[in-house]
Parts: sequence; C-alpha cells; structure tokens
Amino acid sequence: MLRRYLLKRLVVAIPSLLIASLIVFTLPRLLPGDAVQLMLEEKAYAKDLDELRHKLGLDRPIYVQYFAWLGQVVRGDLGESLWTRRTVAEELAARLPVTLLLGGMAAAFAVIIGIPIGVLSAVRADTLRDYVARSAAILGLSVPGFWLATLVIILPALWWGWTPHLGFTEFSKNPTAHVLQFILPSLILGIASGASIMRLTRAMLLEVLRQDYVRTAWAKGLRERAVVLKHSLKNAVIPVVTVFGIQVAQIFSATVIIESIFQLPGMGRFLFDAILQRDYPVIQGINLLVVSIIVLLNLLVDLTYAVLDPRIRYS
Amino acid sequence: MDQPASSLTRRDMLKLGGAALAAGTTGAGLLAAQPAAAQTPKRGGTFRLRLAVSPVHFDPQQTVAFSTMVPLSFSHSRLVKVKAGSSVKPGTTPLEPDLAESWTQPNDTTYVFKLRRGARWHPKPPVNGREVTAEDVKYTYERFLTLPGNPNRGLLEQVDKIEAVDKYTVKFTLKEPFAWFLDALASTSTWIIAKEAVEQYGDLKRPEACIGTGPWMLERYEPNVRFTWVRNPNYFLPGLPHADGVDIALETDPSTALAVWLAGRYDFAPEYGMVVRRSDLDAVKPRKPGLQMQDYIVGFGGITWIKLEQEPFKDVRVRRALAIATNWKEVLETNAWSQGHGAPNPAIPAAFRDWSIPIDQLPAEGRRLYEHDPREAKRLLAEAGYPSGFKTTLETTAGYGPDWMDAVQVTLAGWKKAGIEADLKLKEYGAFVSTTLFGKFDKMGGGLFGLWADPESYLYRYFMPGQPLNASGVNDPKLTEMIRLQRRTFSAAKRREIVYDIQRYVAQHVYGLYGPSVSAVAAWEPYVKNFGPNIGHDYGGRLMVAWLDR
Repeated sequence: MLRRYLLKRLVVAIPSLLIASLIVFTLPRLLPGDAVQLMLEEKAYAKDLDELRHKLGLDRPIYVQYFAWLGQVVRGDLGESLWTRRTVAEELAARLPVTLLLGGMAAAFAVIIGIPIGVLSAVRADTLRDYVARSAAILGLSVPGFWLATLVIILPALWWGWTPHLGFTEFSKNPTAHVLQFILPSLILGIASGASIMRLTRAMLLEVLRQDYVRTAWAKGLRERAVVLKHSLKNAVIPVVTVFGIQVAQIFSATVIIESIFQLPGMGRFLFDAILQRDYPVIQGINLLVVSIIVLLNLLVDLTYAVLDPRIRYS
Repeated sequence: MDQPASSLTRRDMLKLGGAALAAGTTGAGLLAAQPAAAQTPKRGGTFRLRLAVSPVHFDPQQTVAFSTMVPLSFSHSRLVKVKAGSSVKPGTTPLEPDLAESWTQPNDTTYVFKLRRGARWHPKPPVNGREVTAEDVKYTYERFLTLPGNPNRGLLEQVDKIEAVDKYTVKFTLKEPFAWFLDALASTSTWIIAKEAVEQYGDLKRPEACIGTGPWMLERYEPNVRFTWVRNPNYFLPGLPHADGVDIALETDPSTALAVWLAGRYDFAPEYGMVVRRSDLDAVKPRKPGLQMQDYIVGFGGITWIKLEQEPFKDVRVRRALAIATNWKEVLETNAWSQGHGAPNPAIPAAFRDWSIPIDQLPAEGRRLYEHDPREAKRLLAEAGYPSGFKTTLETTAGYGPDWMDAVQVTLAGWKKAGIEADLKLKEYGAFVSTTLFGKFDKMGGGLFGLWADPESYLYRYFMPGQPLNASGVNDPKLTEMIRLQRRTFSAAKRREIVYDIQRYVAQHVYGLYGPSVSAVAAWEPYVKNFGPNIGHDYGGRLMVAWLDR
C-alpha cells in the first residue's frame, strides 16, 4: 500500500516539477535587462551585445532555449553559469552542503526549542511560565533574524572589542570548528520558526487535552508524563508537522541573509547574486532543486502522519 | 599628470552599498597620516582587509566589475601604473613604469615600450615562472582588442597595431593621436595575462588561471569567504612587496564588517577605498586610538540627464532653474558617508583634482548653478514662460541603495520649492541599466556618475553624438570639436585648459545636472606605514609599497 502511494505521489510530482520548471525558466526572462546587458553595462555597444548573446546561446527563440535546457535537466545536466562558465552542478555541490547544514540545524533548533516549550506552556497554561513562554514566542516572531544577527555581532564588538567567529572552516580541515561555526547562525535562523512551532504546539495540545479520551486517561490514574507525551502529544503534533514543512521552506529562504552576515558560502547568497546578474541557468538550477526538495519534504510530511496516527491510511 | 582609465560599473555601486555620492579630494586630513619617507621599511606580516563582494570571475577582459579588478591588482601588472605611497595625494594619479622599464613616443601615433629584463611570471603551472617577453604584451592586447564582448575594449579602441619588435620591445601604433593613451594603459583592466593560462583553461575565469607577474600570488580563494595571497618570490621590483601576504575577507554585510574592524581583525577601514562612514566615526575613534585618517573624496555623484530636444528643456533657462533649485549642500548633509562634507561637481567629478575645474573658475552663469535659490529658479522659469512651474518625470532606480534615494528625495524637494513637480518613476536595477542609462526615458533620468577613473570619459561618453551613454542627446558641434581637440593635445597643461573650457561651456549650456560628491574618511591602523588612499581599484599597488610595523 505504501509503495503504491509513494509511486503515485512521485508520478503526480512530475507535472508539478514541469510546471515549476516552466515558471523558473520564464520568470527571470520577464525581467527587463538580460545577463549580457548586465555584463557589459554602460560599455555595451550593439555589436558586442549581439556577439555575446550569440556566444551564450541567448539569441535563440525562448522555447528553443527552454526545451534545450529541459533536455539537459532530464539527462542530469543543469547547464553552466553564464558568468563563470562553471557547471551549475559544480557550483551547487560546493554550496548546497553549507545551506543544508545551516538550514537543517536551524530546523532542529526550531523543533528542540518549540515543541518542549509549547508542551510546557500548554500543560501549565495561564501560569507565569506560560506567560513568559508566550511573550518570548511573540518576541521571537517579531524580531527579524537579520537584525538579531547584526546585534549579536556588533554589540560585543562595541562593548568588548570581540566578535563571534565569522568566516568558514571546512569540514576536512577541522570537523569540530566546522560544526561549531553553524551554531549561532542556525540558532538565530531557527528562532522565528521555533516560536511559531511553540505557539502551534501549545494551541493544539490544549485542544487535545480537553478531549474525552484524555480525561479518561487522567481518570485511569495515569501519570502526567504518560497522559501528555504518550496520549496527547502525538495527536497534537500532526498540524505542527504540516507547519514544520512550511517552516523549513521559510528557513531555507532566510538563509540568504544569514549566510551573508556570517560569511558562509552557501546557496542563498549564490542565488541572490545570480538573480541580480540574470544568470539564468543558475537561477533555474537552484530553484528547480529547491522545488524538488520542497516536493520531497511534503511527501515526507505526509508519510509522517501515518507514523503519528495509525488511523491515517494511504490510498 | 594624467589620469588612469579604469572604471566602476553601476552594479559595482550597488554592491558598494549604494555609497551614492561622489568624491574628489578636499585634501585636509582628519588626523594626519604619518609620513613614511624617513622610516625604514619592514619586511613581513600579512595585511588584513575586507572586500564586500566576490569577483564575478578572474578574466579582466570579460568584465568591467571592480570585484574582479581589485583582486587582480595583487597578482597582475600593467605596462605603466599609478604611483602609490603616502606622498601621493588622493585624487592625483601620477604614472610610473610597471612592467615597462621605459617608453618613447617617436610620433603622435606611435609608442615604443622597453620591458624589464628578467621579469618573470608567477612560479605556477602552466607558466612556471618563465620570463615575460614582448610577445606576452602583444598577446594580451590583441586578445583585449579582439575578444568578442570584451566590455573594456573601448578603452584602447584607438590602437591599430601591436608589434613585438624584439624580445623586450613592443610597439603600439594608434589610428589617430590619443593623448590619454598612457593613462588608458595604466587602467586596472589592462592587466598583462599569460597565453598559456588562456590556452589551458579556455579563458581566465577560474581562480586557477589567476596567474600574473604582480607582487603577490593567489594561494587560495574561497567564494564569499576569503582570499589568501602570498608574496611572489619572482617579483621584478627588488625588495617589494614588503608584506609576506594579504588576507582579504569577503564580507557582504557592512555592519558586520564594521564590527570585525572594531574587533581588530582588519588593518584598514572596511568600506571600498579603505573608507569609514562618518556616521560611524564616533564609535570608531575612542576604540582605535592612533588611527590614521585622511579626508578623501571617493568618486561618485548624482547626475540627471535631460531630454534636450523636448519642451520645456529646450530652453536653457529651464535647465538653469533646475540646477539652481537643486540643494546640493542638503544632499551632503543628509548623507551618512559625508555628513555635510564634500564638494559640488562640474562636468568632470571633483575627485579629479587636476582636471575638474574649480567652481569659482566657471563663468558667472555657471557659478550661479551652485547657489541654491528657489526664488531665482522661479524667476528663470517665469522668464522662460513657466510662471507656475511645470510637471515632469524623473526615472531612477532604488538599486543604488538608501543613500541614493535620500539624495533623490532632497533634490525633488528643492525642485518643488521652485514649482517643479517631478513624478518619481522607480525602475528595478536591471531594467534601469538596460533602458534609462541609454537614454530610454521620457523626460529626465537620474543615476550615478563617477564610474570611470579617467576624466576624459565624462566628456567623450556623455557629450559625443552617437555615444550610447549620451542619454541627454547632446549634439553640439562646438562641444564635439573641443572634445576631439583635447584628445589630440599632448601637452597636459594645454589639454587641461581645453578640458576646463569644455567644463565652462557645459556649465553655460547645462547639458546635465550634477549632484555633489561626498568626502569620506579613509582610515588605517597606526602600525601600517607608507599607505596612501587614492581613487581607483589598485589596492595591490598601494599595499605593495606599504609595510607593517607592529
């Protein structure tokens, strides 16, 4: 049953990816100004523009370019950057692990912070702890990550002439330093999502705690830990899992700024530069990859439902 | 002495955080930099500095980006270069030999360069430290002139022929006399490149192909993180460079960069040109006792193009009214870099202290343009038949950053006081570059000038008929002839007179509106000796003669 469901979802994903490919291909080209104009800027003469467009294959009809690119993608070739002439796959291979680790740790922090505090807040609803947790969550949602990151760097510099580690240490050089350098940026990146998860966990758990079967559990004399964690939380976190899927996408989009501030050579900054430079193959490649990750992530989220609630069946 | 020709692109400006306004040099130091002439240079140590952006790639003949030219200034040489050191005044760019030991000019269109004997490429494959020859120079400039889409080609388009006369002699023949030729060769886009590197890698875009004859060699490049440069053991100038290495952090965020500098991890102020924003000075000064600083106008300013063939701009009185209504002093006061310090610009940016005409040497009607007076502007408008003012549009981009938009708002407010209502049309940066910049706008377009490091470009490119950037549509035979004449005049003094006359003429006819340039503050640590800030991207040249004395 699960295999059939998986297969069905994967087949359904194909048209989604095709539509996404059309969008990621077309939208950058709708922006006025192309890569060639941006390469030559004010020094552009008509002859140079034409020559360079021809050299880069940008003088072909747009549908020809699209199908040529799609053909490459199907063969696993994402093309090469118009600016650096390096393959998009090569560029991504260097940057994707940085973004994945940063985003992954941020997501982990969001869960580690959000769910326990949400549970605590729900179990101790309307107490001082709950008020503090809820206030902290609102603060976490309100404070922009880039502002917090900037303060974390600037204030120690002003007060003590010190800043946290900036720059990038490769795993091969120093594995511990490699992981440690992600802690602060990923914590900052995960705060807003953690706050969101905390508030949702609290709300959902409060609702579940009012259910009859929970009252029965209490009546049976079960311990609080068993009632909350075993009987209530599993049902409460289903919507949280859904939201978590969305939050992960948001975390990845927020990496653009955090990577810039903490000097991390990830994919976010690379995409931002590519958009400014109209580097179409890079924009297309990264977006297609992100869309694919999101599609897979949503599939994983759907699969998780059944683990949390055996009543959910795949068909 | 003449100016070198290199350039910032408009996107560079964007990457520089929208510094927005331009620069020349006021000359007055905040805390006078220590003269180093009497000191003995010290060998060793590593310079630490910050750049805001990674290079687009490493091929100087396939981009105009400053982000490429600055790194190449550490590893590459030219035939001639701009002199560097604490004795060079910012805003002046005296030339001196680089790879060429000497040169002669047998006639108006011929230049013969003698190369240094024994100058070698970096000891790296595929060149492996072989000697530099005239064939290398010939190859470099032939590729420069023939590579499809080389955006810098216009810089040397007067070159007709390049010949390697013998192993150490190279001859350039020009199509017509061009008095700025040496300055063009000193540009930070005319680096001498290795044929073997092009052949091995296809082009020079990869960091592995970053092979030159300059003072340092690229040891490591981590995109968006850092550059590591080490001393070139083969460098042809004995005893140079003084420092063993250069570490460049590629830090995008300006606030983070400031914090890192405050924490003592850079030897120079973090913004482009080793500059610190004046608004940050209060935080910096108490934390960095002994910091060396120098007022330094870094080169950019606002420019407004006007459709000269359209009403009401056909009437020079209307154009004068626009200029007089512009409050350039307020523009400087509201700018975080300058906080009121700076200079008004004539047709050539004030940053070029040898070529930009002082405002007090303009004719009376030209000087009047710089005295903000809404009443006088109204009077001129009434005289031109617009007693109630008029409505118009101004196209620009917010892509240059908030400082630029502040300047635009102040300008519009000044115009409004004179009865000129300008409807602001904002374009996305890429759209702006491909339309407004080339004159595709309705009535007025506003952008940055200060993009070129040679003064000639500000005349030739903006006022010559047929030039793509002549966005106002200037077609004035007298002006055209004056611009041609200065190109043919080899005496710097005589040429300067013509260039001054051109600026007087342009001020009388108001073919464009010029915003002011900010005077920023260059700053470096007390243990950095013989460093002098200047305009242009030649970071490597300026650091080569500097040393660390901790």
